Amino acid sequence: MGGLVEILLGIMTAVGGFVEVSEATFAAQAGSRFGYSLLWAFAVATVGIIVFGEMSGRVAAIAKQPVFALMRQRLGLTLGLFTLAASVVVSLITCAAEIGAIGLVLNLLVGGPYLGWAVLSTSVLILTVWSMPFKWIERVFGLLGLVMLIFAAATLKIGPDWSQALKGLVPQFPFEASRTDQLAYGYFVVAIFSAVLFPFETYFYSSGGIEEHWSKKHLMVNRLTTGVGFSLGSLLAMALLINSAVLFRPAGVDPQQPGTLALQAAIPFGKWGLAAALVGLLMAFAGAAVETCLSAAYSVAQFFGWPWGRYKRPGETPRFTLAWVGAFLVSLMIVFTGIEPLKLVEWSIVSSIMVLPLTYLPLLLLANDRSYMREHANGPIANVLGVGFYVILLVVAVAALPLFVLTAGGQR
Amino acid sequence: MRNGQIIKVFAQLRDLEIFDAEDQLCGIADDVELEGAPGGALRIAALLVGPGAYGARMPRILARGLQVVAGRSMVRVPWSAVDHVTSRIRLNKTARELGLLAFERRLQPLLRRIPLS
Repeated sequence: MGGLVEILLGIMTAVGGFVEVSEATFAAQAGSRFGYSLLWAFAVATVGIIVFGEMSGRVAAIAKQPVFALMRQRLGLTLGLFTLAASVVVSLITCAAEIGAIGLVLNLLVGGPYLGWAVLSTSVLILTVWSMPFKWIERVFGLLGLVMLIFAAATLKIGPDWSQALKGLVPQFPFEASRTDQLAYGYFVVAIFSAVLFPFETYFYSSGGIEEHWSKKHLMVNRLTTGVGFSLGSLLAMALLINSAVLFRPAGVDPQQPGTLALQAAIPFGKWGLAAALVGLLMAFAGAAVETCLSAAYSVAQFFGWPWGRYKRPGETPRFTLAWVGAFLVSLMIVFTGIEPLKLVEWSIVSSIMVLPLTYLPLLLLANDRSYMREHANGPIANVLGVGFYVILLVVAVAALPLFVLTAGGQR
Repeated sequence: MRNGQIIKVFAQLRDLEIFDAEDQLCGIADDVELEGAPGGALRIAALLVGPGAYGARMPRILARGLQVVAGRSMVRVPWSAVDHVTSRIRLNKTARELGLLAFERRLQPLLRRIPLS
C-alpha cells in the first residue's frame, strides 16, 4: 500500500512539476503560430526525457552516482568544468526567467510592482527551501502545480478538432510555407526539444533519487515516474499548445507574456478559470525556480565533492547551502537588469540545448557500464532509444544557434 | 577492490567520490600520488584532495582563475586510510581525523546561528 502511494505521489509530482515557463511559453506560441503542427515535437522530445530521466534515476539507484560526479569521471576535469560552468549559467538564466514570470503573474493576479513581487517571491522561495526537507520541497511544488490541470480541462471544454490534433502528432515540415516561416518552424522544433529536455530536470531528478537513498527496489518507481509522470506532464504542455491553436490562432494573438496563457482557462471557465490558471502558473514557475537553483547547487557540490543534499539541515552542508542561496540571489539580480522574462526564456532555451549533449553523454556511458550497473545496465531498447536520441540532440544542438540568429528568436 | 589489488589508477580511482568511515562525502580524489624508483615497483602513496591538487591538472589560465576563488589548499590522504574502492572510495578513518572538510567545519558554526539551520 505504502509503495502504491509512493508511486502515485511520484507520478503526480512529475506531472505537476513538468511544465515551466519555457515549455508554457513555447507551447502557447507554437499553437498560435503553427496550429497543431508542432505537437509531434512535444511527443518526440517527451520520449527523449523519459529515456534519459529513467537512465539517470537507474544510475542513481544502482551506481549511486550523481550526474556531475559522473560527468567529471567520464568527460575529464577540464571538459567537465566547462560543462559545469555552462550548466550553472543555464540554470541561473532559467531561474531568472521563472522569477520574472512569477513577478508578472502576481502583478496580474493582485497588482503591485513586478520587481517588488520578484523580490518577495524569491525571499519566500529561499525560506521554503531552507525550512523544508527534499521530499517535501519536491511534493509541495509538484502537487500544487497540479492546479495547471485547469488548462487540460479547458482543452476538453473548448473541444478542439481532435482529428487535426492527431495529425499534428505525425512528424512533419511545412515545405509549402515561406522561407521565413520554415526557419521559424525549425526554431520552434529546437525550442520545444530544449524546453522538454532541460538538463536541470535530469540533475534534479537524479539528485533527488540519491537524496531519498534509492536502491534496486526503487527501479519500478523510477520507471513509472518517468514513463507515466512525464507522459502525462507532456500532455499538459500539449494542452497549452492545442488551446492556443483553437483560441489564439484565429484571433491573431501572439502569447508572448506568461500571463496571456491564463486567458486559455478564462475563456471557457470565466473568472474562476482565470484565477485557477494564474495560481497554477504561479506554482509551476515557483517549482521550476526551486528546481533550477537547487540543480545549480547540486551540480557544483557534486563536481567538487562537497557534502550536499536537502535531507540534511542547511547548517550541516554550508557550501551547498551558500551555493543554492547564492543561485537565487544571482537570478534575482538578473531579473533586476530589466531583461524581459521572454528574452531570458529564449537565451536559456538556446544555451541549454547546446549543453545537453555534454550532459547526457556521461549518463549514456555509465548506464552501459556493467562493472557499475551489473544486470541493470542498459538493455537493447534503452540503448537504441538512448543513442538515437543522442544523435537527434547533436543535430538539434548544432542547429540551435544559427536558427536563433536567423529568426531573431522566433520573432521573424 | 581491496587494498593491494591491481587497479587502473586513472580510470578507476581519479575523480571518484570519497566517503569517510561515517559514510560522509568528504571530497573527490582530485589526483593520485605515486611512489617508486627506477627498476622498482610503482605504488599508490596517497590521494590528493582540494584545489591545489586539481589545479595542477587544468590548463594554466583556468587553474589560475579557479585558484583565485578556491585557493590552493590540498589534503593528502595516505593510501593506508583507503578501506576499499567500488564506484566510490571508502576510507577507514573519519574526515576530521584526516583533515578533510576543514573549510566546511569552519563555516558550520556561522550558518548554525541562523534559525532552522
